[in-house]
Amino acid sequence: MSRPVPTGALRAAAILALAGLVISGCSSKNKDDAAAASGATKVKIELNDNGCKTTPSSIPAGAATFEVTNTSANKVTEAELQQGGNIVGEKENLTPGLSGTFSLHLDAGSYTVYCPNAKTEKADFTVTGTATKQSVDPAVQTALDQAVTGYKQYVIGEVDKLVPATKTFTDAVRAGNISAAEAAFAPARYYYEEVEPVAESFGDLDPDIDARVDDVEDPSQWTGFHRIEKALWQDKSLAGMSPIADKLDADVAKLKGLVATTNYQPAQLANGATELLNEVASSKITGEEDRYSHTDLSDFQANVLGGQKAFQLLQPALQKIDAQLASTVSQEFTDVLDSLKPFQTSGGGFVDYSTVGDDQRRMLTQKVDALAEPLSQVAAKVTS
Amino acid sequence: MTEFRASRRGLLALGGAAVAGAATSGALAGCDSGSSKTAAPVVAKVPFYGAHQAGIATPAPARLAFATYDLTVDGSPQENLAALRQLLQTWTAAAAAMADGKPVPGDSNTLVAPPADTGEAYGSSPANLTITFGVGPSLFDGRFGLASRRPAALADLPMLPPENLDPARSGGDLVVQACSDDPVVAFHVIRNLARLGRGTVVMRWSQLGFGNATSNGASQETPRNLLGFKDGTRNIDGSDAQLMNQHVWVGDETDQQWMRGGSYLVARRIAMHIEAWDRDYLADQQHVFGRFKYTGAPLTGSNERDTPNFAAKDASGQPVIPVNAHIRLAAHENNGGIRILRRGYSYTDGIISASGELDAGLFFIAFQKDPRKQFVTLQRGLGAHDALNEYIQHVGSGLFACPPAPSGQGRYWAQDLVG
Repeated sequence: MSRPVPTGALRAAAILALAGLVISGCSSKNKDDAAAASGATKVKIELNDNGCKTTPSSIPAGAATFEVTNTSANKVTEAELQQGGNIVGEKENLTPGLSGTFSLHLDAGSYTVYCPNAKTEKADFTVTGTATKQSVDPAVQTALDQAVTGYKQYVIGEVDKLVPATKTFTDAVRAGNISAAEAAFAPARYYYEEVEPVAESFGDLDPDIDARVDDVEDPSQWTGFHRIEKALWQDKSLAGMSPIADKLDADVAKLKGLVATTNYQPAQLANGATELLNEVASSKITGEEDRYSHTDLSDFQANVLGGQKAFQLLQPALQKIDAQLASTVSQEFTDVLDSLKPFQTSGGGFVDYSTVGDDQRRMLTQKVDALAEPLSQVAAKVTS
Repeated sequence: MTEFRASRRGLLALGGAAVAGAATSGALAGCDSGSSKTAAPVVAKVPFYGAHQAGIATPAPARLAFATYDLTVDGSPQENLAALRQLLQTWTAAAAAMADGKPVPGDSNTLVAPPADTGEAYGSSPANLTITFGVGPSLFDGRFGLASRRPAALADLPMLPPENLDPARSGGDLVVQACSDDPVVAFHVIRNLARLGRGTVVMRWSQLGFGNATSNGASQETPRNLLGFKDGTRNIDGSDAQLMNQHVWVGDETDQQWMRGGSYLVARRIAMHIEAWDRDYLADQQHVFGRFKYTGAPLTGSNERDTPNFAAKDASGQPVIPVNAHIRLAAHENNGGIRILRRGYSYTDGIISASGELDAGLFFIAFQKDPRKQFVTLQRGLGAHDALNEYIQHVGSGLFACPPAPSGQGRYWAQDLVG
């Protein structure tokens, strides 16, 4: 079961809708109750895709009413007044044609009018006083740089392990040794499943290595792990599989060459992690990935650990950007991996997936969904 | 029609700005009045905030999307309650926006992030969308420390034979009933609430319904259920405040003040043996209900709204409305004045793969102030004697306490229970 933790940005956004109202209510109650009344200074904010226009941009301290209007902005639907990163007032969900107001009592100081998604999102707003500095955290950038470097090294390292693990498998295939090949199948795939989104970025390489029979138009052109899986578990014959084994070795070697020179963006790490979780939910849970060998749970674990690795590399930066989201995702990863433990065998492998009941499959899917939803919010956070 | 199309485009360009959309289309409908009934766009909105939740007394729109959810939290009762509170704040903000024809609050425009709203109802009118929320008996176990807040009226339903309840279509910690004249708009609600709750709740089961099978207002033409009979002729009219207070809205009598102004929802998935019913002869079908099939009149009358005469006998001395007729057993005259507000929908989920027969029936929904004294009493009588039992079976069940509506912005569902 998952812990009672919030689900991150989606939830935070909706909470804001409630909290925003409460905040503006409190401000006017605590201070001059009639912020919106005749004495209030009127400020107009016009939402615009290029940037919000605030008139005037400097007012005396005291009651103020902000009139926010959207005549034609499609990307910008809200305006926030912030101070030191905290929202002090806002109006949102203003699609074109709508307008709204918020009223509050402002002390002297430097504020920011924030219009998310505008070309220029932030503009200074002054209340009878001096400007304050805007700080950018260079530590965040350093942490993100380290994340992408770390991920590149991780991918290279896992593909380095994939090459010999695949050769152990293909050697057994070429030798016609069915039991040895069966034993080597899941361990070899493991390293591939950890970095699959990267492999998918290289065009035909992923289908050549990992296609299922219903992914190919012409079954005679079917290659890769699953072609041999069918020969082993269903046909129970390795006749004709040597060329397939040779091609698999060559494709994996090709992958090794490509990952050595590939660089990543922080958002790719995050989106790749989400893709791995989607892989789990859409093809591992259903049992269609390893339909002959029923080794799906090994792939499942590799997908999750690969995603967790990408996330953990981003975690120091995310901690500075959105600590709550970082902690939510981290806990949900732990939760998913814990839920796999009952299916582990003493030898370190997993039970045959055909023995996992519908209720258990449903539970696993729900765990994965609970992780993937907040995880899908990470990319936007680490994109500057 | 040309103007209607223009207004549709305007609505799309506004991107869910239903306030503006409603104003535009409303004006158009005014211009159109009398010229063409079909051209009038449906943009009506039902208020979300107020004394009572919408979706009970309000006229039933054509479509239903119903879902129950289970909490998955496993912390301490305090932690779990905090998670539940946060969920209900999030859900309420989203539900209020959707009922107002707006997307789920949040950012739907950042290219590298999934949109806050899933988008399928983008640009659509809410089409009388109502979103009704309730809590099930299981919420009052030890997980949230709420055991002492459980209303006595939320006692688990007893066994009500003949029934064959599927646990996979019964129960749930929370319920959401979304009704709209647009099926996409209704579905959009239960889907987005499930998404907003991921990590805290999972959907337990859900049911789509169509053709509001039960009238709950005198202004509505009485709809027919899938057995072909008018349903709801003698139902409580939701606009009758006196009857609503007497039978439906929880009042001062409750042992739990957080339920004052609320109501109890009973849902029953009632499967119909459609193929068998369709080969029953007309006279027997009419005897089963106690009404004429086409006019809807009681067998003792000639108009739909004629009061049934349960004492009337035919020439052979037999009751004209048989002793086991559905309307006799369900009538308040024969149940000590007990009444419930029914708000059911027809459903079909394709065919039953084992038999090839239609998987269809009535998704019965009823509201009342105390299920122990109302639904349970009525269903005991029906279960024991109703001639209709030969053709139906209760296969799913749910009982929920629906608190009053949040009184205004900033308030949230069940705040007086969990706040």
